[in-house]
Amino acid sequence: MDVTGTATAGAAVRAGIRAAVRAPFASRVPAEVLYAAVAALLGLAVPCAVLGFALALGMVTPGHGENVSIYGLVIAGVVLVLAATRLARGVGAVHRALARRLLGEDVRAPAGPPAAARGGRGAGARGAVTRLVARLVAGLRDGLRDGPGWRAAAYLGLKIPLALVQSYALTCWITGLVNVSYPFWWRLFRNHAPGVRLDPVLVFTTLPVGWFHVATYAGTFAAFAVGAAALLAAPWVTRAAVAIDRPLIRGLLGPGRLAQRVHDLELTRARAVDDSAALLRQVERDLHDGAQMRLAALALHLGLAKEKLGHAAGAPDLAGVRELVDAAHRGAKDALAELRDLARGLHPPALDNGLSDALATLAAGSAIPVELVSDVPVRPSPAIETIAYFCAAELLANAAKHSHADRIAIRATEQDGLLVVTVADDGVGGADPARGSGLRGLAARASMVDGRIDISSPPGGPTRVAVALPLRA
Amino acid sequence: MRVVIAEDAALLREGLIRLLEDRGHRVCAAVADGEALRAAVAEHRPDAAVVDIRMPPTHTDEGLRAALDLRRDHPETGVLILSQYIETRYAARLLEGGAGGVGYLLKERVADVAEFADGLARVAAGGTALDPEVVAQLLRASRRADGLAALTPRERDVLARMAEGRSNAGIAAGLHISGGSVEKHVASIFGKLGLPPSEGDNRRVLAVLRYLRS
Repeated sequence: MDVTGTATAGAAVRAGIRAAVRAPFASRVPAEVLYAAVAALLGLAVPCAVLGFALALGMVTPGHGENVSIYGLVIAGVVLVLAATRLARGVGAVHRALARRLLGEDVRAPAGPPAAARGGRGAGARGAVTRLVARLVAGLRDGLRDGPGWRAAAYLGLKIPLALVQSYALTCWITGLVNVSYPFWWRLFRNHAPGVRLDPVLVFTTLPVGWFHVATYAGTFAAFAVGAAALLAAPWVTRAAVAIDRPLIRGLLGPGRLAQRVHDLELTRARAVDDSAALLRQVERDLHDGAQMRLAALALHLGLAKEKLGHAAGAPDLAGVRELVDAAHRGAKDALAELRDLARGLHPPALDNGLSDALATLAAGSAIPVELVSDVPVRPSPAIETIAYFCAAELLANAAKHSHADRIAIRATEQDGLLVVTVADDGVGGADPARGSGLRGLAARASMVDGRIDISSPPGGPTRVAVALPLRA
Repeated sequence: MRVVIAEDAALLREGLIRLLEDRGHRVCAAVADGEALRAAVAEHRPDAAVVDIRMPPTHTDEGLRAALDLRRDHPETGVLILSQYIETRYAARLLEGGAGGVGYLLKERVADVAEFADGLARVAAGGTALDPEVVAQLLRASRRADGLAALTPRERDVLARMAEGRSNAGIAAGLHISGGSVEKHVASIFGKLGLPPSEGDNRRVLAVLRYLRS
């Protein structure tokens, strides 16, 4: 390894150490710890309560002399099947709310349970019994058919081992904090007279080796070291325990893949409709305030010039006419330029020859030097090319406006059946989709065709935005 | 004639000032929004105001709203609306008061300088100047097509020009016919539409429009 390589590796190691030491103090850690604590508690309490309920019902129901009656368990089973989906939905909602508040994981509630079927009307006592049975059967059927309810129940089941992992993450924090404190209180409580022997103090660790004993002040530093190690590991364990939870919440407590897809499509369709309406409004406005106004002024100037030429029977006011015709001439050229810009804004003519040509035209017009690599063997559909082009144009404009970059690189490639357009610059970075509407607009545009946008723009740069679109819309 | 201009596009505003001053009128004020227009008219009490419909801040119909206020507060000032579109609804609202002194022309009419100036003069004098496009739309929109169907093509031409706000002499010049035959056509139109003949261009136009809108 050469010298610079060693230096880079050293820098990487230092950066890694810095990250590890800072991790316990990261701003999202308290929320994750709180989530792990509440979620673990809830995740263990609910199954315990269910089990306890079943056992209790088994014990109070008369049976054949056993401690736990089979009848009782059967009844408990029926009651649980009746209540399971409702219970799971309720607890699932609590988990969803926790995840939203503490993890920022915004999962929509699934559709409501199937409407309860009404029992038929009957007369008298027999009718009442029939009705009750019908209600029971309908309730069972609805419960069994409630997909989202069962998914929530599955979540609660999977949550049991996960709750143990999350509890483990909590014990890392607790034992870590306790062990780190040993050297501080040791002298306060262990200031015994010389010669007196006290029992060694137990030190728990979160490792499989379990525990060890500390008998001397010097030994407390071993406890401190173990505690510090646990505290350094704790945020990572917590994050891992929470990270496993996230996809489960999304997958099992959300509306389900098909319902989510329908929801997403509804959203993007509404956005597409709004978008095209807004575009038309903008075009109308541009025409009204631009070319139309210029042409009206042009007509006015020509009308005035005509008057000047036609009025005086003798010598027409040639100087005045020339001035008016000049103004009209200027107006005509301005109107043409404005119409050209407007037309190009609607559909760049270069796109007719393919994305590569259009991007080349775009790159050529940039104030900052652009290096363009375009390698798309299969031509995407026109709508995709248009979206890709406008994304690149917007990103290029953003870079020119905000990045203070010296160089910009545009790449258009095909990867795994996707058209990927990347715009990267060596500028100051700090592009944030939460602040600028431009990047949000791009993401919205891409999402209309199931595309996505990845933005990497740390403060200090560099900025790299990748737009991935399917080849066919 | 003393005129106030309200138009937000500087290019057109300058052009209008030039047009009017070339013809010996005085432009007391040239403003770019509805509020300034109200203030300018209150201050200068001009003979006429030329008003663009779409102006800042909302770029929708502030010119029209200002114009309606002007008709109410300063009926002696004629209001000529200029717009790139014809909205029959706007025309109807302008004519609702029935007092005359209003006009509604497409912006491109300013190119025919003499006609535009004539229209403005009519409005300043308490008459009307409606764009042929407005009249055509009103004619199309009329629900009493049976009455209109009884008119001859020539009578329809005369009716349309009447509705624009022209005098008999103006109609005669425009259609290249004699003043006498215009009078005959007008009488025949009034007869077929069941309108009482009355004095003056303005009442005539309003009568026609009221008939068309009813």
